[in-house]
Amino acid sequence: MRNKEWTIQSKHNLFDFGLKEIICYRHLLIQLIIRDVLALYKQTILGPIWFFIQPLLTTVVFTFVFGKLAGVSTDGLPRPLFYLAGIINWNHFSECLNKTSTVFKDNAQIFGKVYFPRIIVPLSISISTLSRYTIQLLVFLFCIAVYHYKGIAIHITPIIFAFPLMVVTMTSLGLGLGIIISALTTKYKDLAFLVGFGLQLLMYTTTVIYPLSAAPENLKWLIQLNPMTNIIEIFRYSFLGKGDFTTCSVAYSVMASTLILFTGVIAFNKVERTFIDTI
Amino acid sequence: MSNIVIRAENISKVYRLGEIGHGSISGDFERWRARIRGKTDPRARISEGGNGISKNGLFWALNDINFEIEQGETVGIIGNNGAGKSTLLKIISRITAPTSGKIKGRGRITSLLEIGAGFHPELTGKENVFLNGAMLGMQRSEVKRKFDRIVDFAEIEKHIHTPVKRYSSGMYMRLAFSVAAHLESEILIMDEVLAVGDKVFQEKCIHKMHQVSKEEGKTILMVNHHLEETDRLFSKKIVLKNGKILNS
Repeated sequence: MRNKEWTIQSKHNLFDFGLKEIICYRHLLIQLIIRDVLALYKQTILGPIWFFIQPLLTTVVFTFVFGKLAGVSTDGLPRPLFYLAGIINWNHFSECLNKTSTVFKDNAQIFGKVYFPRIIVPLSISISTLSRYTIQLLVFLFCIAVYHYKGIAIHITPIIFAFPLMVVTMTSLGLGLGIIISALTTKYKDLAFLVGFGLQLLMYTTTVIYPLSAAPENLKWLIQLNPMTNIIEIFRYSFLGKGDFTTCSVAYSVMASTLILFTGVIAFNKVERTFIDTI
Repeated sequence: MSNIVIRAENISKVYRLGEIGHGSISGDFERWRARIRGKTDPRARISEGGNGISKNGLFWALNDINFEIEQGETVGIIGNNGAGKSTLLKIISRITAPTSGKIKGRGRITSLLEIGAGFHPELTGKENVFLNGAMLGMQRSEVKRKFDRIVDFAEIEKHIHTPVKRYSSGMYMRLAFSVAAHLESEILIMDEVLAVGDKVFQEKCIHKMHQVSKEEGKTILMVNHHLEETDRLFSKKIVLKNGKILNS
């Protein structure tokens, strides 16, 4: 960095993602990730226990309401496992989106004082969210072990090796949508209200609480349009042995997520240059 | 180009007044509806006359600025309120982009804009020092080497493990100045920092700035109001008036 030449220009190449710069600032990225993870543990007395309670309680409620009362099918899988698989993945996606969508607003103070590539902040948020996902995944694996011990057959399939790809896809989808919204909210503040209930409504368009096989044939494509649906389905198939996906549908999810992430980075980089004048 | 660390070419910055969106979709929608029905915008701001504001609501905070700064110079940026001093520093610090023009430079920049550097209020003084170093692209070990000197200079050994939100404005400023002066950057930018802090500390800062520019060859850019006190510090002055350079 020493004696490095730089240029400040009014014009900006939309497709210049500044990857080199991100590498220069990798120490900042690492420090922000550590800070975010530590903050998760420090902030409350119960700390990470909330990460267990939230998905478990949601699972209990879903099992009761959608399973016992409404009698929605779970493809023959034990209900708690079925819901938990959907919930932890949806949680991770929505957490990524939610937290990155307020990046400009939350950091206006620091962004107004020092320069560093702004994209570092949403990047660090989405990576540190993975620590929470890992804890919830362990809870899920523990539940599988309990069922296995009780003698209920759970079929883990080799597709499980695609798991890293699922995580990357989910994270980029959440991050991409989040930074698109964060770029838009610098101009339209009322979009922030939309995020809260929008995410809740969106959850019902994925297969968190019902299996894709239970959807009417003519509406299936609509549910599959949500890239999260295919990720949850392949996740269920790899860990529980039941899920409805094709190579095509998974490829669609991966491509849609990549495209959204690219759009997000372009929008973010465009806004970061002058947002401080308008916020 | 050998010794030049910053070269600004035709820098302009335009702010739009009244023309900016209303910050909400409903606001923009209302305005659009009024326009197609041929009525006046219900939310339009009443235009205010004044310095540099043209009829179409454009405000030229900076207008065609050109200058060169050589390594080791201490540059004072001088002008009345609204002359564009802070805008210029913000553009050089890359906080906001210029509307037109280009700045070429060499070396890392530390900025102290308004009161406080990029401190995070919830973090302790120590954590902030390291975070600030990282924001400059420095490694943890590099910051560690400088850490004791930073705390020493700021005179806040006792409070270094306290979140900075509990600092007094004097302590905050001392730490911010100390971090900026000690971290390894080649260019130091300051916006009226010396206004805070007592006379003793001000003297100490001025002495320190002399030292870093003479001995370490750092380039310093500084906005100043109190001419008499710090006049002797500057080797070069940029005088701004209504977004234009008077002389340099």
